[in-house]
Amino acid sequence: MRKIKIDIKNLSKNFDNKNVLNKLNLSIYESESLAIIGESGSGKSVLTKCIDGLMEYDSGIISYEDIDNIKNLNSKNKNIHMSKFGILFQNAALFDSLTVEENLKFADETSDLSGLLNDVSLPKSVLKEYPSNLSIGVQKRIGLARAILKKPEILILDEPTTGLDPIIGRQIILLIKKLVKKKKITTITVTHDMDSVFEFSDYTAFIRNGLICWYGKSKDILKSRNKFLKNFINGIY
Amino acid sequence: MDPFSNKIFNFFKNIGNICFGIFFSLGEIVLFFFDCIKYSFTDKFYPKVFFSQIIKIGYNSLPVVGLTSIFTGMVLALQSYTGFSRFSAESAIPNVVVLSITRELAPVLAGLMVAGRSGAAIAAEIGTMKVTEQIDALKTLSTNPFNYLIIPRILAGIISLPFLVFVGDIIGVLGGYLICTQILNFNPTVYLQNTYNFVQFLDVFSGLVKACVFGFIITFMGCYHGFNAKGGAQGVGMSTTYSVVSSSILILLTNYILTSLFFDL
Repeated sequence: MRKIKIDIKNLSKNFDNKNVLNKLNLSIYESESLAIIGESGSGKSVLTKCIDGLMEYDSGIISYEDIDNIKNLNSKNKNIHMSKFGILFQNAALFDSLTVEENLKFADETSDLSGLLNDVSLPKSVLKEYPSNLSIGVQKRIGLARAILKKPEILILDEPTTGLDPIIGRQIILLIKKLVKKKKITTITVTHDMDSVFEFSDYTAFIRNGLICWYGKSKDILKSRNKFLKNFINGIY
Repeated sequence: MDPFSNKIFNFFKNIGNICFGIFFSLGEIVLFFFDCIKYSFTDKFYPKVFFSQIIKIGYNSLPVVGLTSIFTGMVLALQSYTGFSRFSAESAIPNVVVLSITRELAPVLAGLMVAGRSGAAIAAEIGTMKVTEQIDALKTLSTNPFNYLIIPRILAGIISLPFLVFVGDIIGVLGGYLICTQILNFNPTVYLQNTYNFVQFLDVFSGLVKACVFGFIITFMGCYHGFNAKGGAQGVGMSTTYSVVSSSILILLTNYILTSLFFDL
């Protein structure tokens, strides 16, 4: 039986009087991989930032296991909440001033880095490099390694294939698929890329105008009769 | 509403918006300041970051502060000679040079130079971290950005600036000494004796106190504007500009206030 990990009810978030999330409802289940798709500016990244506590929301409830509403957490408990998430940011967000080794040790000083690098298919030689000397594909792998290093309960992948060529993008998708299967972590992937949705997401939520417009199994997307979802997949505007 | 009333309404509306903007920014700055104080005592301190900032803000600014001070001391000696020679008071030049340098010029000029150099660098670095989500990444890695980024920089600024200004004092006086002894034919021993006899502890001390305050202003404004950078490269550029402009204005303003305080002593 599916167990709810995160439950979102009537979530709203405004920016300068613009309604980005508009009483959104969504449940995220344990050990499942959810893809959040939607047009640019539809509120996908804002939603994940509200879930992991990086952004305050205006109204609504986000409950996480036994926490009734993460909005009510004090700063100490909010930090504990944030530490449950491993996040691969859109541009990897590695610390420029630190080497790859220092970036990884920032997450966990005691971990075995050679095994971790093996998991993300990178040679040991990258450890002494600075992020600016590496391609965006390698940076994303390191970002992914940093995200899984502290053994998070939930892995958030924000546009993991954006800015990558199709070959590297495919490699990253397969790598994520392998890791998600191996670690059995609850995963939330924000993406435009339907390949990643079909490859490793169990369920998909389609956001439009700040609401979940369609939700279902990823394998059922192509069978959906939802006009907006069809248009999104086929690139019709 | 008729056109005239509309104009009046818009005029007061604009004034209201400006006032609201000013008070909003002031409120944000005060809250940022209190966060700095709060986290200084409640969370982890990063000595490695602190010492690297001492190098960046203090040691790396030595050449620019040294050059500024030596040329200022030289110009001051030349200009004083032009004025004082008109009523045969050339002997007062060492006194004017040392007093001006230690009390005013070294702290203010060092402050302005460091604001342009290190304040801008701090705002740009933190601003880039903000817009590229590195600060968000810090938070998810259980690291408080205030403790890791802000507090070590502010402390480094407060500690580095007095050392820079003290070095600037010596180099500035040396600039005056070089001009007076090499060009204006002063006796080197008499010049140094006059300088030494005239300068008082309070002259140097007041300059160093100013330097501490300026160090705080520069790093605080750099951190504040960087931390609140929005958008992309343009946002980082704006935060850098705001940091340098606000630091420079605040340095000149607080210089007046501190001078008034020390003038009363």
